[in-house]
Amino acid sequence: MKKGGLILLLGLLLCIAGFSGFYYLGTAPCRNMMHEAQPELAWLKKEFGLSDTAFARITALHEAYMPQCAERCRVTEQQNRKLKDLLARDSTVTPEIQTLLTERARNRAQCEAEMLKHFQEVSRAMPPEQGRRYLAWVQAQTVLRPQAMESRHKMGSGRHLMETPHM
Amino acid sequence: MKSNQEPDQDERLRAVLREWVVDAPLAPRFQDQVWQRIARAEAPSASSFWAGLVRLVEVVLPRPRIALLYVAALLVLGVAAGSVTAQIKSRHLDATLSAHYVQSVDPYRADSSQP
Repeated sequence: MKKGGLILLLGLLLCIAGFSGFYYLGTAPCRNMMHEAQPELAWLKKEFGLSDTAFARITALHEAYMPQCAERCRVTEQQNRKLKDLLARDSTVTPEIQTLLTERARNRAQCEAEMLKHFQEVSRAMPPEQGRRYLAWVQAQTVLRPQAMESRHKMGSGRHLMETPHM
Repeated sequence: MKSNQEPDQDERLRAVLREWVVDAPLAPRFQDQVWQRIARAEAPSASSFWAGLVRLVEVVLPRPRIALLYVAALLVLGVAAGSVTAQIKSRHLDATLSAHYVQSVDPYRADSSQP
């Protein structure tokens, strides 16, 4: 029993050691990324195979873009608050509300334009093939992503309403 | 086995046994209980499972070839499970970080997927 028990134990220990070792080695790159100052940029470097030079350039672009983005967010937030107040006061679309909606839409358009410019700059800082891949991915994730509004008007989306029996 | 009793006593015992009639009633559900005891005796008990396991560890496992196979199989199992778990964890983290990147550059987006 003693020898058999030792073999049994040895097998289990080797199983645990194999699991732990390969899990530790397999997750090491991820752990390293999480220890970076900006893990999401470290992910970008890994995902698009960036050199240190390209990564430094992209980090600089990102850091220059973020304060401008934050300022536009602040303006949008102000406009949202003002719109909420106006809507609480008036039950119709007053000229003031109309003006605010236009300003808000203009701000969003500017935000999207600045975002696109930033994406294009970032893509140009990458190797050409990776730059194209980045641009296609990031645009699909952000401004070019289908909005709920578009999907509402897709063919067949309202078919279930047509099929609803009349009371 | 040789009997040490007298032949005429043996004959008398047989005669008495032939005349003996059991008139005591059987216990209620006697037959059912007998069949249940037989079924219990025939069914493999849990203790026989453990006995088999102990025999496997004592007798079969110490054989060099079996021991080597067992240890190698558990090692491969551990390595494979560790690799697969690490891959799943890495993919999950990649998805989380890519979502964070998109959210950091696009304030209008709350979710995203991997490239």
